Amino acid sequence: MPTENLTDKRMSKFKNKGKEPTKMRDRRIAECVELRKAHRVESILKRRNISSFGDEEPLSPEFNTDNEQVISATIQEIVASVNTDSPEMQRQGCQAARKLLSRERNPPLKEIVEAGLLTRFVEFLGRNDDPMLQFEAAWSLTNVASGTSWHTQQVVEHGAVPAFIALLASPMLNISEQAVWALGNIAGDGPSYRDALIDCGIIPALLARLTPDAPVGYLRNLTWTLSNLCRNKNPFPRFSAVQQMLPSIIQLLHHGDKSVLSDACWAISYLTDGPNERIDVVIKTGILPRLVEMLGFEELSVVTPALRSIGNIVSGSDLQTQAAIDAGVLSALPQLMRHPKSSVQKEAAWAVSNIAAGPCQQIQQLITCGLLAPLVDLLRNGDFKTQREAVWAVTNYTSGGTVDQVVHLVKCGALEAILNLLQVKDTKTVLVILDAISNIFLAAEKLGEVDKLCLLVEEVGGLDRIEFLQNHENNTVYRAAQALIEKYFSEVGVAESHLLASFRNPFVFPQRSP
Amino acid sequence: MSQTSEPSADAAVTEAPVAQSETKQSTAGKKQNKKKVEEVVEEEEEEYVVEKVLDRRVVKGRVEYLLKWKGFSDEDNTWEPEDNLDCPDLIAEFLQSQKSAESGGKRRAESDGDGKETKKRKDEPEKLRGFARGLDPERIIGATDSSGELMFLMKWKNSDEADLVPAKEANVKCPQVVISFYEERLTWHSYPTEEEEKKDDKN
Repeated sequence: MPTENLTDKRMSKFKNKGKEPTKMRDRRIAECVELRKAHRVESILKRRNISSFGDEEPLSPEFNTDNEQVISATIQEIVASVNTDSPEMQRQGCQAARKLLSRERNPPLKEIVEAGLLTRFVEFLGRNDDPMLQFEAAWSLTNVASGTSWHTQQVVEHGAVPAFIALLASPMLNISEQAVWALGNIAGDGPSYRDALIDCGIIPALLARLTPDAPVGYLRNLTWTLSNLCRNKNPFPRFSAVQQMLPSIIQLLHHGDKSVLSDACWAISYLTDGPNERIDVVIKTGILPRLVEMLGFEELSVVTPALRSIGNIVSGSDLQTQAAIDAGVLSALPQLMRHPKSSVQKEAAWAVSNIAAGPCQQIQQLITCGLLAPLVDLLRNGDFKTQREAVWAVTNYTSGGTVDQVVHLVKCGALEAILNLLQVKDTKTVLVILDAISNIFLAAEKLGEVDKLCLLVEEVGGLDRIEFLQNHENNTVYRAAQALIEKYFSEVGVAESHLLASFRNPFVFPQRSP
Repeated sequence: MSQTSEPSADAAVTEAPVAQSETKQSTAGKKQNKKKVEEVVEEEEEEYVVEKVLDRRVVKGRVEYLLKWKGFSDEDNTWEPEDNLDCPDLIAEFLQSQKSAESGGKRRAESDGDGKETKKRKDEPEKLRGFARGLDPERIIGATDSSGELMFLMKWKNSDEADLVPAKEANVKCPQVVISFYEERLTWHSYPTEEEEKKDDKN
C-alpha cells in the first residue's frame, strides 16, 4: 500500500500514476523496440561472428587471411607494436595477434611463437593497470597453449603459469575466466604440467572463484579446467589434490547447466578410472545416486560420462559394485542397453559384463532386474563392439553363476546367440565364447543333462560351427574347439576315455558354492 | 670428438647412457691413445618416454614387453627386454589389467575415445557486452526472459548503446538500479470491498 508521504519525484516514477496515457504508451513502445533491437543485434552477431563494439583499426586485414606473406608482415607489425612503450600500440598489437590466433582456419601459432612474442604477452599478463591489454594477452596465450605439446610447452616456459594463477583472482571476470581457460589447456597437456599447476596452488585459487553468483559461462570453463586437473594417469593426480577438488566437483554435479554437469561428470570418470583405492574415494562422497540419476538424462553429453563412471566403479571390487547396485544402477541399465547410440549400448554391456563377474548374489540381481533379455538382444542385434562386451557378460555369468542361474540364461536364448557369433573374425571373442560354452556344459554335467544340451547345440547349428573351428589358424582356438568336441560330442571308447582322464584330470567337477 | 648417433629405441628407455669415448690408464707417464670408437659415442640426452605397456612375452627365457612410445605411432611399437626398462608403474598397470581379466573377470575401461577435448582454442571474437564493457549502469529500460534467463536491457552512462545483462548479475552489481526499475513498474491492485464484490457477482 502506498504511503501518504510520497514526494512528487517518486510519484512520477511510479508506473501508472500521474502520467499521461499517451506518454506511457510511447514509452512502452520505445522499450519494446529497444529490446527487439538488442535481441536482433545479438543474434546477428552470433551468426556473423563479428564484433560490433570497439572495433579499432585492425592491423591484420580480416579478409585476406590465407596469404603467408600477409601474415608474416602482420606479425612483424605486431612485434613492433608490442615492443613500444605506448599502451595504445601495445593493445592494438596484442589484439591483432589475438585475432590471428582466433581465426577459424590455420591460426599461425608457430609463427607467433617464433616471432618471440610470448615474452611480451606474459609480461602483459601482469599489467593490472591495463585490463584490456591483460585480456588480449591472456586470450592470445590461451590459443597458443591450445596447440600441440610443443606449443603448450612454449607458453609454460615463458613463465605464463604463475602469471595466470595470479589472474584467477582478477576482479575483472572476463580476465579471470580467460586465465581459467589457459590453465585448463596447460593442465590438459599431461600429468607433468597438471602436477606443476597443482604445485603452484591452482586448486585453492580456482575453488575461490566457485561462488553462487558466478555466471554460467564462467562456471563452464572452471568445471572444464577442474576436470583436466583430475585427468590422466601415470601418474594419477595425488590424493591430496583429489580430496581438495572433490567436494566442489560434487557440488557442480548438482548444477542445472548441462555443460557444467557433463564436465563435472567427466572429472568423476577420470577419478574412477584407476585402482580400487581411487574408486573408493569417489564412492565415499555419496555421489552414486546422483550418477545413477544422470544415467537417465536425455543429453548424451551427460549420459556418456555418467555411464563411464558407473562402468569404472563396477569394474572395482565386489563391495564397490554392490554400492552401485544399491544405488539403483540395475534399473537404469536396460534402457541404456536399448539406447539409440551404439556407444552407449556398448558401455552398458561392458558394465553388465563386470557386474556378471561378481558373486552369484549379484548375478541374481541381474536376473531380477530384468537385464537378461536386453543382453540377449544385444548379442543378437548389437554392433560388433557391443556384441563383444555382451559375450564377456555371458562368459563371466556362466563362470560365476549357479547351475540354476546358468540354466536360466540358456533359456533366455543366450547360448544360441553366442553360438551364432562363433564365426566372427576376432579370435579373442571366439575364445571367450568357447569358454562360455564350456562353462555351460559344466553346469549341464552337474544336472546330468549333457545330452540334452548337445542336442540343443546341434539343433541351432552350433555343432557345425564348433567343428569348423577345429581348423582355425589360432592354436588356442582349435585346441579349445577340439576339446569341446572330444569331451561332449564324440563317442569315446572306454580305453580312450581313460586316456583323456589322465590328460585332463577333472572328471571331478569343480564344486561351486550356490 | 663424439658422434651423434641415430637414437635407437633400444638405447634410451629412460636416460640415455653416456658412454665413454676415451679410456685413461692410471700408469704414470704413459699416455693412452684416445680411442675413437665408432659405436661408442656420447649420446644426445634424448629421452624416449614409454606411453603404455601393451603386451608381454617370454623369448629365450627373457621377459620382454611390447611398448608404445609417447609421440610415436603404433607402427613404432617395440619389444624391449624387461631389464632395460624403468617404468615400473606402467608394467604394474599392464599386469594388473591382465590379472583382473583372470581373477573374477573384471575388466577395466579401454580408454578409447575419452570424448572430451584436452585443449580448447578460443576462436570466437569477443563481443564485449554487458558489464564486461566496464561501463557504469545508468538505468534499466526493459526486461525479457525469452532466452530462458531473466535479462535486463541496460542503458550505460556515457554510451548510446544499451545491451542485455543477466538479472542475476545486475542484482548484485547495481541493486539500486534494479530496484528503481521495479519500482517504476509497480502497479497496485486495490482489493474489492465487500460491497463491490456483491456488485460484481450480480453482473
